[in-house]
Amino acid sequence: MSAAALLSVRNLHLAIAGRRRHTPILRGVSLEVAPGEVHGLVGESGAGKTMVGKVILGIQPSRARIVRGSVVFEGQDITHLNERDRRRLMGRGLGLIPQDPMTSLNPAYRIGGQIGDVLRLHLGMGRAAARTRARELLDEVRIRAPDRVLRQYPHELSGGMRQRVLIAIAFACRPKLIIADEPTTALDVTVQRQVLALIKGMQAQEGASILFVTHDLGVVAKICDHVTVLHGGRVLETGDTRRIVEAPRHAYTRALIAATPRHDRPGDLLQPVPEALTARLNAEALAWDAAQRSDG
Amino acid sequence: MRRSAAMAEGALLEAAGLRLSLPDFSRKPPFGAAPLVDILHGIDLALAPGDTLGVVGESGSGKSSLGRTLVRLHTPTAGRLRFDGRDITNLPEDRLRPLRAQLQMIFQDSQSSLNPRHRVAGIVARPLRLHRRVETRAEARRQVDALLERVALRPAHAARYPHELSGGERQRVGIARAIALRPRLVVADEIVSGLDVSNQAQILALLRELRLDLGLALLFISHDLSVVRTVCDRVMVMLNGRAVEQGDCAAIFAAPRHPYTRRLLNAIPLPEVDPDWVARTVDNELGEKVTMKVKDSVALVTGANRGVGAAFAGALLDRGAAKVYAAMRSTEGYQAPDGRVRPIEIDLTDHDQIARAAAECGDVTLLVNNAGVNHNQPISADAAQRNARDEMEVNFFGTMEMCRQFGPVLGANGGGAVINMLSILSRVNLPMIGTYCASKAATLSLTQGVRAELAAQGTLVVAVMPAAINTRMGSMNPPPLEEPIDVANAALDAIEAGEEDIYPGVVAGGVSQGLAADPKGVEKQFAAYLPG
Repeated sequence: MSAAALLSVRNLHLAIAGRRRHTPILRGVSLEVAPGEVHGLVGESGAGKTMVGKVILGIQPSRARIVRGSVVFEGQDITHLNERDRRRLMGRGLGLIPQDPMTSLNPAYRIGGQIGDVLRLHLGMGRAAARTRARELLDEVRIRAPDRVLRQYPHELSGGMRQRVLIAIAFACRPKLIIADEPTTALDVTVQRQVLALIKGMQAQEGASILFVTHDLGVVAKICDHVTVLHGGRVLETGDTRRIVEAPRHAYTRALIAATPRHDRPGDLLQPVPEALTARLNAEALAWDAAQRSDG
Repeated sequence: MRRSAAMAEGALLEAAGLRLSLPDFSRKPPFGAAPLVDILHGIDLALAPGDTLGVVGESGSGKSSLGRTLVRLHTPTAGRLRFDGRDITNLPEDRLRPLRAQLQMIFQDSQSSLNPRHRVAGIVARPLRLHRRVETRAEARRQVDALLERVALRPAHAARYPHELSGGERQRVGIARAIALRPRLVVADEIVSGLDVSNQAQILALLRELRLDLGLALLFISHDLSVVRTVCDRVMVMLNGRAVEQGDCAAIFAAPRHPYTRRLLNAIPLPEVDPDWVARTVDNELGEKVTMKVKDSVALVTGANRGVGAAFAGALLDRGAAKVYAAMRSTEGYQAPDGRVRPIEIDLTDHDQIARAAAECGDVTLLVNNAGVNHNQPISADAAQRNARDEMEVNFFGTMEMCRQFGPVLGANGGGAVINMLSILSRVNLPMIGTYCASKAATLSLTQGVRAELAAQGTLVVAVMPAAINTRMGSMNPPPLEEPIDVANAALDAIEAGEEDIYPGVVAGGVSQGLAADPKGVEKQFAAYLPG
């Protein structure tokens, strides 16, 4: 563990409690995010990548149990914070850019109020100051008519605009680390490009770190400094983005790259992840679970 | 698009000039009908048996509406739709039903397109029963099992409900249902957009396999050009309900002609490390200049028989334009200066004639809106109302209709450019010709609107605002006068450099600077020209 890490996730085990037994979701995940770094967390649906983000933010479902391991943020163990300390940490320490711009804003409140709430709650701003800062933030995320948008409701905005508002909220209290959970998956490619540019620009300007959760290796290659590849709740490979993309060591990473469609290549080169490989990885995970049980 | 005529012989599905308008319920008044909004503006396409055509575009481009219209879930407002040689444009539902077996659709949202109350077996068996392809339960069961195996689902999946399946599995059920009746054409609408890459690759591999085995023709709708490239032989790029580019994938992906296609391609993050990608695209978004070469362009110049229009024609020919349509109210007695010049009659007050010209001159890449009228009268003149209407009719409405009709032509030809000849008097009123100035100010605003609306298709729109020009038309303006050829050359330089607003000449440049520094002072100075 390097002392310089802003965030360290250390040997994190998480299981969902069932009636008869626990289902392991994360199987000893470790990763580190340095200050000012964009760290990609890649995997397919069910790999546990979103869960890692939720545990860092302390918003994992109530049935999820942290079996072992810890999350250390700025040298402080934040794995089991109480609600008051957690709230103090959110906003100024940690921010979130959620996946779904449709459901992540309250449909009953105007945009101005929703950004203002964050500023008043975490920074203790007054109503007028919050409004001024909200307008500035909308300006920073390149919304052309900030005064109008402040008065609008979420349903009046396009998907790209809503995502910009969420980015504004995430950066509102100048957090040190932002968890971005598939923030561009629901967007058109041209809008995705703008939103990626915006996230990267804001990140560079504020000097924040980002844990960027995605299944898209293309996006990873363009904006991440480091990458961690996750499958079945296990870290298969981690390293510098260039090394991972150009010289992947794990067969699964190679398979993910081969499964990514490319407009500069005809389709017959596209290879789904081989079933044998998936079966092998699943068997490894189960064997690993068994080993854990016998250990414990 | 011209392929459709050539392919008509063997086409399985053929659309010609397909238009669709749907009611816009968001703008429906409390009483009365919702206003119609145009979704598709004349789509041509042809699909032979076994063909794969990708339709790409962003949200709101009309690609899903096109898919739904092709399988007649919508009835086209205009145009023709033929399936297997039969006209199905307006075929009533009862006569359409037997054809539906051959014409299937797979929907984007597998969650909402599968009945949550039915088990997978029932969902897949339903078309078989409706079309009386199975007699007994046992037979249905056998066929369902075979179909599930075909899409790589286990027999155990048959007893499950849609919510018990993953996104990839649900999409396989959608595919099994679509191929149950052995269709000849399948329209697949964004079927992999919600899936991660490995699921996506599996579904695409399955689709390819089925297509080859069953000889399906496939219309594949997607917002992702990378996905289309892996599935389709041909591609059609849609923007605002129009096809801006259509052709073989290999050719279009190697050398996209339309700026919108290039924009879509550039936006895709390929899995290659490129630390500057993000910064570069931000620069492009904010300041990349659209430029256009005059050489080999096909221009249309209004009012080309005299003055600045004639100068434009000459300058265009000098710079190697391939063709110049010289538009004028009457071509009688007009002598074309060069073999490349085609005289054409356009009266800017006749909007039908403008529409016909746009249809006739389908190769235009550069539109020069030069023609205008000036009654040379103050607003206090007796005839001011009449003069103003006349000036607006030509200068404003004429230019507007030219932009409206030729906008799509420029779009279809790769973006191109529009030059609107305005005047420094668009920015400040010279009261002695007040109504004319007002019409030019309105046309400057129009030019900005056209620029904003045509930006997506890559059309450069230039406003040229010179001071007085030395023509025989206007003689009462203050000196010094600009030469027409200098103004024309300045405008053509502007499109090659990607400038949007230009003020050719010393006087116009000075006034524009003055307006930036002290607009009120300039207004007062111009007001002082008022006679008496």
